[in-house]
Amino acid sequence: MPILAKPEIIWTALIYLSLVVVIGVWAARRTRSAKDFFIAGQGIGLLVTALATMSAAFSGFVFIGGPGLTYRMGLASLFICIPVSFTAGLLCWVVAKRLRLLAGVREIYTVPDVVYCRYRSRMASGLAAAAVIVGTVGYLGAQLKALGILIESIFGTREIFGEWSLAMAMLIGLIIVVFYATAGGMVAGVYTDLFQGALMVGAAIAVFYYALEAGGGLQQMAQSIIESDHFGPGHLDPLGAIPIFTAMGFFLVFAVGNLGQPHMLHKFFMLDDPRKLKWMPLIVGVTQTLCVLIWLGIGLAVPSLVAGGKLAPLANPDEASPQFLLHFTPEILAGIVFAGILAAIMSTADSFVNIGSAAIVRDLPKAFGRKVADELFWGRIAVVGIAVSAAVFAYLYGDLIALLGTFAFGTFGAALGPALAIGLNWRRVTAAAASASIATGLIVNLVLEFLAKQTYFEALPKPPFQTGVLPTAVSLAASFTVLFAVTWCTSRNQEPEIDEDVQLVMDL
Amino acid sequence: MARKLSLAFLAIASPLMVALFLIPWPWAQSVFAVLVMGYPVALIVVAVGRRGGVGPLGLPLLALLVFLEACAIGMLLLRGHVTDAPWFGGLPLAAAIQLYGLFLTPLLLVALTYALTFDRFEMKQDDLDRLEKIGRRPGAED
Repeated sequence: MPILAKPEIIWTALIYLSLVVVIGVWAARRTRSAKDFFIAGQGIGLLVTALATMSAAFSGFVFIGGPGLTYRMGLASLFICIPVSFTAGLLCWVVAKRLRLLAGVREIYTVPDVVYCRYRSRMASGLAAAAVIVGTVGYLGAQLKALGILIESIFGTREIFGEWSLAMAMLIGLIIVVFYATAGGMVAGVYTDLFQGALMVGAAIAVFYYALEAGGGLQQMAQSIIESDHFGPGHLDPLGAIPIFTAMGFFLVFAVGNLGQPHMLHKFFMLDDPRKLKWMPLIVGVTQTLCVLIWLGIGLAVPSLVAGGKLAPLANPDEASPQFLLHFTPEILAGIVFAGILAAIMSTADSFVNIGSAAIVRDLPKAFGRKVADELFWGRIAVVGIAVSAAVFAYLYGDLIALLGTFAFGTFGAALGPALAIGLNWRRVTAAAASASIATGLIVNLVLEFLAKQTYFEALPKPPFQTGVLPTAVSLAASFTVLFAVTWCTSRNQEPEIDEDVQLVMDL
Repeated sequence: MARKLSLAFLAIASPLMVALFLIPWPWAQSVFAVLVMGYPVALIVVAVGRRGGVGPLGLPLLALLVFLEACAIGMLLLRGHVTDAPWFGGLPLAAAIQLYGLFLTPLLLVALTYALTFDRFEMKQDDLDRLEKIGRRPGAED
């Protein structure tokens, strides 16, 4: 059914987008310095920081890509989101406290700033900036593609633009994201995140209720999936439908890789008081768990509806969420949920635009010993450049949103995770080890992803791993391996020198 | 001791994982699953270790490790037995372990442990005062 025939959905989405623009304009007036633009003036309270962290982490990847992946590979795909039960605690114990305390004693806006303070190495911070830029293009691309698919569904652009529909829908999304990111920077980001986070949680709970209702309850849904020829018992076997390497690789990458996600780590710099971290895991964990209900609900309901003949098999798994919302939820709720999904996508996109521009304008020049004169102005220019690059990359990347997101998440996790997670907690890690680890994570991930996906050069081999091994899991394990190996080689005779304040932050 | 053990685990598990990805071995995937569950807990122990120990976090972290490993082993044992295994909470047992076990149970354990040990172990006022005395320095400048 063309969504244009459902005016409530369009009106709700338009009202939502207008509210986001209003927040962008309001935030622009409050953005007076680079500190405001990049870390919201370090004056954000617990609830806003927690919801901003949650909504930055959850995105089109969870709301559109997740149910699509579950439709395609069954419950094994849930290993991507299951770690949320403890990753907030993991983040707070391993990195958040030290990042926030460091931001209290140093002028720190970005993850590469942290790398520089810890290791006193321009090479390490420059490599971290390069990893941030590469990961940002991939992750932002996943958001823009999800945004395009959603705008296409809501506004029926396929009927207007034909084969250029997705490109036009992505362009519309790009313009909106760039507007409020360039205008309001991180002030706009966190306050839209607060609004969007609340909307996401409400939308996820409501959708889960309707998913259970449409499928006849959890047991009925499970039963119809198992009995279906299209899906079968393997669909509900967590380690049965796909290789264990893939399922557990998801778990590894999305649990441990969390420690290197700059869009989440960035939020900890903004917290006004480090003692407020106390309740962060509970708030982030509970809200993330509630949001994942949309993945679980639609991910189980759509296969059961297809199995029961109530919905035609999907041509593109990424259409699972839009199709369910259009056909099985009340119109007004579908509008609110579409707005919630738009919220999720745009809050994440905004975070990435911001950290990507910071990497270009602040971190890379610093790595070469330069400083940009007007960071606020050039930060806004960089936003446009990075958003356009991401949109082009995503449009040309021929795979599911969730897999594009996995690549980007893996890039951050493998490149930045070990140097931060181990380096901020173990003083023996040297600058050489951090640089080698960041370079390994970045290069191994890029090369393996290219070899796995490329079809241009027949002579190039596929990655030499067993079936189902995720390139991102390899790069993460390789990056940790290199960190430990180089640390062992370079710190045997002498421990690295660390500034007194950084050492104290590490000791606390 | 716990911290050193965790560092040793991470230093050995990481290259071992890479080897498991490369070498065709019948138990490779199961060993990988067991290693993966230990990885995040080891990272937490490295981070919270003070003078070698983990203070009041010892028992909760041990419980988390045992629970995660038990869930992984349970799912491995039930692999391919969706139809003949019992059901729990409206789902086949393996799926129930995944959703109710891995997904929901650690949330309260981890979040409450963090909050309840925060003031006396994670961030003490004395520590913040010491940091305050050092004062603020310019950041990533030379």
